[in-house]
Amino acid sequence: MSHLPAVKLSGVSKRYGDVTAVDYLDLEVRRGEVFGLLGPNGSGKTTTLKMILGLVKPDSGSVNVLGINVEDDPVAVKRKIGYVPEAPRIYEFLTALEFLDFTGDVYGMAPEEKKKRIEEFVRALDLEGREGDIISSYSEGMKQKVVIISALMHKPELLLLDEPLSGLDPKSARIVKDLLRELASQGVTTIMSTHILEIAQAMCDRIAIMYGGRLLALGTMEELRRKAKMPESGLEDIFLKLTGTSDVKPIVEALMK
Amino acid sequence: MNWKNVLRLISVDVKASRMVRGVRFRRFRENKIVTYALYMGACVLGLLVGWFVGNFFVGIADLTLKQLVLNGATNLFITLPTIVLLYGLVFTQMSQFQRIGVKVSIEPIYWFPITWQEHTLASIIANMLGAPLIITTFVCSSILVASFFLGLVPLAVFTVFMLLTSLFLASITTEAFKVLQVRISGAVTKVAGRAAVWVRLIGSILFFVIFYIIYFSLYYSVSPLALIESVAGGQRMLWFIPYLWPGMTLSAFATGFWLETALFLSASAVFICLLFLAAVSLNVKFGLYEAPSIKVSHGVYVPRAGLLGRLGFSPPEAAVIRKDLRAFTRRHELMYIFTFPIIFIIIPLLSTMRGGTAIPSTFSSFLFIYLTLLPGTLMAVILGSIIVGSEGESVWFIYSAPISAKSLVKAKYFFIVLFSLLVILVCDFSLFVYCQLFNGAPSIRAVVIGFAEAVFLSFSLAMVSLACGIKGADFRELPPRPRMIRPVWSLINMTACVIAGLAIIAPLVPYGVQRIFQSFFITSFLPDYYPYVALPISVGIAVIITHAASKIALNSAEELLRKAEQ
Repeated sequence: MSHLPAVKLSGVSKRYGDVTAVDYLDLEVRRGEVFGLLGPNGSGKTTTLKMILGLVKPDSGSVNVLGINVEDDPVAVKRKIGYVPEAPRIYEFLTALEFLDFTGDVYGMAPEEKKKRIEEFVRALDLEGREGDIISSYSEGMKQKVVIISALMHKPELLLLDEPLSGLDPKSARIVKDLLRELASQGVTTIMSTHILEIAQAMCDRIAIMYGGRLLALGTMEELRRKAKMPESGLEDIFLKLTGTSDVKPIVEALMK
Repeated sequence: MNWKNVLRLISVDVKASRMVRGVRFRRFRENKIVTYALYMGACVLGLLVGWFVGNFFVGIADLTLKQLVLNGATNLFITLPTIVLLYGLVFTQMSQFQRIGVKVSIEPIYWFPITWQEHTLASIIANMLGAPLIITTFVCSSILVASFFLGLVPLAVFTVFMLLTSLFLASITTEAFKVLQVRISGAVTKVAGRAAVWVRLIGSILFFVIFYIIYFSLYYSVSPLALIESVAGGQRMLWFIPYLWPGMTLSAFATGFWLETALFLSASAVFICLLFLAAVSLNVKFGLYEAPSIKVSHGVYVPRAGLLGRLGFSPPEAAVIRKDLRAFTRRHELMYIFTFPIIFIIIPLLSTMRGGTAIPSTFSSFLFIYLTLLPGTLMAVILGSIIVGSEGESVWFIYSAPISAKSLVKAKYFFIVLFSLLVILVCDFSLFVYCQLFNGAPSIRAVVIGFAEAVFLSFSLAMVSLACGIKGADFRELPPRPRMIRPVWSLINMTACVIAGLAIIAPLVPYGVQRIFQSFFITSFLPDYYPYVALPISVGIAVIITHAASKIALNSAEELLRKAEQ
């Protein structure tokens, strides 16, 4: 089974009225890799992640996750996935402990394992002392930490992270990054959508750049450099060139008038 | 004070209140005619009423009666400011209840160059708009027109001025109270510590119950004339209370005591200014106040095996039930659910106990059926319709978690049935105590039939409303509170539940009619065994309805999870 891709999207399209969010997308994500999904706002990254999870049903094409067709057995697929949505809303009337306990039960974790994992994560992400407080009193960063813990605590085989590091303090961001690397070495696949290109460049084995719902480029940093014909450049320059948004000078000048 | 800022803030506040009432709009500019239609309608209606009253007065031939009407009108004018103050307080407070959590709409003042004076004044004026000002417009236009016929024009003009003053006074009070309320609840949370959740729940329930009891008591027992008489008497006796000074000003004006008029008028103005300054300083001090967080536990995490697991629920189902239980005891907008059954028990009991006269047996039988069947059933209907929508925008977790449609329906249904059964038990117990104390116990057979019917109704209607609640779930959390169910589905739910409920109780209706009106019949028109035949038929209908509704609920839940965020 391990030779099979972790995620395979075949000819997947999704339209919202007149807007094509994802346009005939073919994509394979290998097992155990950290895969970056980049693109400007509205390029279809979040819709792609949601289709992988089964939250959005594609108009055409098929989505296969860890050997299971998402449409055939969505619950089995969800059990294997840890998901961090963009700007998540969580049950604010619960405490962090109650929410994580709820998550553990929903994912069928054994009580002892649940307790161990919650305690470890709460300590690691500096939530100690506040874990018994109602979540509504948390800062956005603290809420993000709770969501990240809930995505990681049940040891998923696939992680879908939509802007996972937004709002995190530097120490917690570092812990999450190191954790994702460690998980990748253990065979956990991560698909991460982010606008922070430095993070994508530093963490991802392969990067896909989406634009207007289409896959513009896919590969390692070296492959992307070759494709953009920018051998010495960083991801930001490559991204701006490939998406045709590199010339921002006139816009800045107009704004300064 | 920048008046342009005040006007802009008022228009933002008005929009916010319209959103609170669920009015949707797409453009910032709205049709002015539609916006002011209610005020214009109230004004026209007032003019007509005033004209009618004036003509009635002109038509009176008897001079004594004419003088009597004139005196009555003068008294009415004098009491109006206090009456306007009273209903102004009620309406502005109610509008504040509606807006609990609408903090979002005033957040920009934290960083915009707006002073607290401007914000406070705008909030006070915006609070006056809507029902309080519509009623005042009606009253003002009618007394102005009537005064032409009565020859009381100066008094009427002065009354109009004092009515607006009273309304303003009510609104300032509400503004100051609103800020204090936040501060006090924050202090209570801090002091209560871990018990804060329960203090808040019980406090909120008590507050609503007391509010409704006062409201219903006034509604059922006070006639408008009695209210005017008591206000007029009370006003003269309690003249030293500043809130009554606008009324005292009018009273002095009507009797021609000019010095007294000037004194009370000045005192009213000073009081309003002081109260406004107090509201501003409260806003300055506590306007940015963030209530302390509620600490439920101190970090010692102990996973519990739980009773629900032993009852046959899977861990995800038990987790959803526990989460819902916490939601309904901790979320302000869901706590009010618990007040309904309490009010349904208290109000009829209060009305029967009033006056100490014997209760007719017809009413007592009706009360028995009402209290046995209605509160529990209503709980099932309300809970069922909102329990899925109450997930709000956090529903993404349910979508992304490995929870099957069957588990979701099972967990939600259990929660609804559990609470409905609790309400039925509480109601039946209250009824039992009431009957023992005041009215002689009903027969065991009637109690058992009533209880069984209530249980089957609840089981059945819980599933019907859950099916509607899933189908019509609205997860938007627009300020100030989650929508939970789309209005059209709320209507469908009510209709479906009424039809299903009537179908279930239909076989037992003749038995109920006989019990209620037993004093009118010389002999029983139903055979003794009738309930034993009717009850199984009723149960059969309930089972069929529940089964059909469960299929719909399951299909709807599958569709909900499949389509998720479409």
